[in-house]
Amino acid sequence: MFIIFLIQETIVSRINFPLNGFSLYIAALMVVLSLEDRTGSLVFGFIGGLIMDLSIAADTPFGQWALVMTLMGYLFSINKESIGDYTETPVVFIAFISIASGLSLLIFAIVGTLLGEEMGGLVRNLGLIFANSLWTFLITPLFLPLIIKMRRIMLTSREK
Amino acid sequence: MAKSGGNRSRLLLVLLLVSSLFLITLDLRGVNLASGIRGTVATIFSPVEKLFSTIFSPVGNFVGDLRNIGQSNEKIEDLTKEIDRLKSKEILDKDTIGQLSQLRNVLDLAGRGNYKVVAAKVINRGSAATFKETITIDVGSSSGISKNMTVISDGGLVGVVKSVSSTSSIVLLMSDPTFKIGVRIAGTQSIGVLSGQGGNTYLLQLLDATGDIKVGDKLVARGSEGGRPFVPGVPVGSVIEVQSNSSSITQNADVEASANLNRIGIVAVVVAPPKSDPRDALIPKPNPTVTVYVTPTPTPSPSN
Repeated sequence: MFIIFLIQETIVSRINFPLNGFSLYIAALMVVLSLEDRTGSLVFGFIGGLIMDLSIAADTPFGQWALVMTLMGYLFSINKESIGDYTETPVVFIAFISIASGLSLLIFAIVGTLLGEEMGGLVRNLGLIFANSLWTFLITPLFLPLIIKMRRIMLTSREK
Repeated sequence: MAKSGGNRSRLLLVLLLVSSLFLITLDLRGVNLASGIRGTVATIFSPVEKLFSTIFSPVGNFVGDLRNIGQSNEKIEDLTKEIDRLKSKEILDKDTIGQLSQLRNVLDLAGRGNYKVVAAKVINRGSAATFKETITIDVGSSSGISKNMTVISDGGLVGVVKSVSSTSSIVLLMSDPTFKIGVRIAGTQSIGVLSGQGGNTYLLQLLDATGDIKVGDKLVARGSEGGRPFVPGVPVGSVIEVQSNSSSITQNADVEASANLNRIGIVAVVVAPPKSDPRDALIPKPNPTVTVYVTPTPTPSPSN
């Protein structure tokens, strides 16, 4: 995840996406959270959020992303049990990842507002969240197989 | 067993949430945890970022270009206007530099001749109301300018002030056909009258028919009573051709003006003549030429 974070911070963030940005890291983290079990989702959510808090550009309190991603991990674990195995249908899975990415940003904005931060206008934030979800929906299929493959390799080596 | 797993997950969730809130609280309370860690990360990231920036910045620029493709024409127009503005500014800068150079030279000339001068800028040339060769300068009676004062430029004589208003003056150029000035050949006592001919050449009539005149001779103004209209010592021109006519009682010569009247931007009006005649002090000295003599050394033959 740290390597993906590095790629996000050094390459992806430099790309001037139309309709605001796309976060490769959030999309990849959502994929990982969706594939993990309940405990794994929580732990990976927390660690993934902490890594995001390390961002040089972040001017938010340290731990805010950790809180948000822990909540996201929890939501994933709940939905996994209620909806079932949504990895069977790729389109639904990608749509789920996209919505989750947008939701994480929305929670981040809400938590930020509760903490008294200046989060900008509501319309702008909603536009950003929408654009991020859209880009996640379009780009995730490109790297999703790679993440699934890497996860399998890691699980296989863990089992061995 | 499932209940135990659920409890463990809830416990973990609470633990992680509390940890997150603890970190946030620390940060908000002013503990420099975040800045220290982020500073370390920034130090680690910095070289990687520089490297990636060098490699991948074209990608970002390309996407940015695609994004702004609709605005490109507008931007091109803006940039074209900006280029035009900068070009005109560059021309203005060059013009300013040229004027500063002229000002420096004319003040230098005035200083060497001990003339008290008022610098002026040429604001107009010629007039539709007159056939005379004139220029308009931006100084007038409010600057101490009055009629029949000598006007010089960095090269030498330009003309004479013919009319004055409070803020501007009209200068009759020495190229005007009605313009006449008493001159002396520098280094001699030969005197003559120089007349404008409406062009770039001037006619010198040497009063002494037996006087020696040759191409390259420099002419300086003889000066008038009280320094008006001409102060003494001002370089006027140089002889470019001697007209030999045995039947004439005077010697004539074609003269080229010291000052280039076609490109004058800055002039100086001599408001007070020098206390003493500077004589030939204002004639520009020729630059010394450096001659290098090389004596070839004979190359030793292979047998030696």
